[in-house]
Amino acid sequence: MPAAVGALAPRRSSGFRTAFARRPIVVGALGLALLVFITILGIAAGTVVIAPGDTVAILAHRLLGLDVAQSWTSAAETIVVDLRLPRVLTAAVVGAGLAVAGAAFQGLLRNPLADPYVLGTASGAALGAAIAVIIPVRALFLQFGLLHALAFLGALSAVFVVYRLSRLGSRAPMTSLLLTGYAVSSLLAAGLAMAMYLSGAGLRQIFAYLLGGFEASSWGRVAVAAPLIVLASAVIFLRARSLNGMLLGEEAAAHLGVDVRRERAVLLAVASLATAAAVAVSGLIGFVGLVAPHVVRLIVGPNARLVLPLAALLGASLMVGADLVARLLGEIPVGVVTAVVGAPFFLALLRRAQTGYEL
Amino acid sequence: MIQFAIPRALRPSFAAAHASRRTARSAAVRGGRPTIGLLVATLVLAACAGAPATPIPTTAPTATAQVTAPPATSTPAPAFPVTITDDEGTIVTIPRRPISVVSLTPAATETLFAIGAASQVTGKVEDITPYPPEADGLPIVATYKGTEIEKIVALNADLVIAGGLGFTPPSAVAQLRSLGIPVIVLYAASVNEALAGIEAIGTATGNADAAVALSRAVRGEMDRLAGLTAGLAKPRTFYEIDATSDIYTVPAGSLYEELLTMAGADPITTDVSYQISLETLITLDPEVILLGDGGYTTMADVRARPNWSGIRAVMEGKIYPVNDTLITRPGPRLADGLRALISVLHPEVRL
Repeated sequence: MPAAVGALAPRRSSGFRTAFARRPIVVGALGLALLVFITILGIAAGTVVIAPGDTVAILAHRLLGLDVAQSWTSAAETIVVDLRLPRVLTAAVVGAGLAVAGAAFQGLLRNPLADPYVLGTASGAALGAAIAVIIPVRALFLQFGLLHALAFLGALSAVFVVYRLSRLGSRAPMTSLLLTGYAVSSLLAAGLAMAMYLSGAGLRQIFAYLLGGFEASSWGRVAVAAPLIVLASAVIFLRARSLNGMLLGEEAAAHLGVDVRRERAVLLAVASLATAAAVAVSGLIGFVGLVAPHVVRLIVGPNARLVLPLAALLGASLMVGADLVARLLGEIPVGVVTAVVGAPFFLALLRRAQTGYEL
Repeated sequence: MIQFAIPRALRPSFAAAHASRRTARSAAVRGGRPTIGLLVATLVLAACAGAPATPIPTTAPTATAQVTAPPATSTPAPAFPVTITDDEGTIVTIPRRPISVVSLTPAATETLFAIGAASQVTGKVEDITPYPPEADGLPIVATYKGTEIEKIVALNADLVIAGGLGFTPPSAVAQLRSLGIPVIVLYAASVNEALAGIEAIGTATGNADAAVALSRAVRGEMDRLAGLTAGLAKPRTFYEIDATSDIYTVPAGSLYEELLTMAGADPITTDVSYQISLETLITLDPEVILLGDGGYTTMADVRARPNWSGIRAVMEGKIYPVNDTLITRPGPRLADGLRALISVLHPEVRL
């Protein structure tokens, strides 16, 4: 993956940013090509070897309805269509959603360290999931268990509480929001620690959720999570202008005719919705939501109209790639892969951006 | 079932998976007792995973085949489809006699081979103390890291036998079922539940008669052995599951406790957390210490532990390693485990 993105960010950094900023279409096309390439790799590879020809034939047969002579086993078809395809799609959608939400949070809070989890979504979801593991109910609805439901609700409730608390008599709403998010997260983390302490045999399940992963993906889950994430991302795309305004500061944004209060609330709500849906299906996977927007900004500059869709593409590629690596290494946690790949990569990019870097 | 491919450090959490369902549930609701130390254990799991299982010295008689199932040919063609209610209460229908059975617990692997279903088994879970040897060549489709659904699908599995209470990840069970593969989830907190599990596997695979015969044979042998210890003095016994950092022992209402009691011991028990404090242990002053962790803990280690020297079993040198695989695996070798315990606790008894 570093090699592929390295193509987008050549070593001679002076001027590459402006060069690409003037050619967003080129960057977009490259990003799309990267995503398609990694997606195909993700479908082709796995613990069971399926010939690439068979993989393509199965996809052509099932997705495009082409009349291909069947040369594969029904097990291979199940693996490709019912296991790998939903898995890769979930990873792509979750990666894209986290990247878009991350870009929105970074812009809204004007803080480069913001990520989708900054306002308590992660700790809220984790606590919800841990409580679900402790409650001995095993019902499944649309292939979602109590764990996913409580993780989703936990993430949304945490953000809601943070938002309400931060509005209590504050003059610097964004700073207040960040600090409230930090405080509430700490409290929820204490709750999580307590829940893990009490969970007994369920500890492994909680731990697996905290590390994140896509091995339990299915069409049923994609069908519920993907529309939520895509819809929320679309709403954020449509508000790129407001995000650009807010980058200049709230006052400047107001002068530009942005209804700051309303736009802020809407953006926070939909970005949190995308994050909550993502963490509910895949657990807590760090770094993609933080790194993808930054990488895109380093390449094309800060214009949200470009940053948001490109971050979605890159986030999706990163996540599918990370999941592929995780699978090939024997189902290690995806969060470990994203951190191991993401952190040094991010540092390297920051060092290359000699021109100085602002949001 | 505890003795899967699980690093030793993690065992207590899996042992907890075999507390009785009732105990586990009520404890979960009121919030059992500490196991957070296991988080650390989970973190070091990668480090321990590669360690080969050290053979555990056992004083048990080597005859392990006292309980033998009748040949499978005595099983008449069973009526499929069969419907089974598994240990989680899920009703599972198996449409045809399975020809590709995947075993996700070591106990199920042993049971399948013991009831003459060997030819139907196509995949198994990793097992650090593999048994029987005939199962060695089977492809491994699950490890402590997780269940490889793709491999199970590639085997065209038409029956999967999974472990309960989180032993097999619940998400894997749900995923397999969503692909139309019948999954029965089994766990046992008592000898009766273990034997019921054997019979369930028999019914599910079309080897019901052999399974019933096996479970009766095991029951008969265990009753006979328990009878031998009935009138004997019962030494207060501490069964050590692990004491590398925190001390773990057997919970009340577990398979362990039942076997120790049948073997003529008065076991020191704890709650579903499996944890016991050193203070409690010193106060209860065990007369015998059984090292279920004997693969990596010796009598010298126990003697060297600070503050253990005043315990009676330590002073008298009554510290014995036991083969915990035999004792904790709710499968066809339970009687062997009981025999091993008796030979340590009551060496005077002629088995």
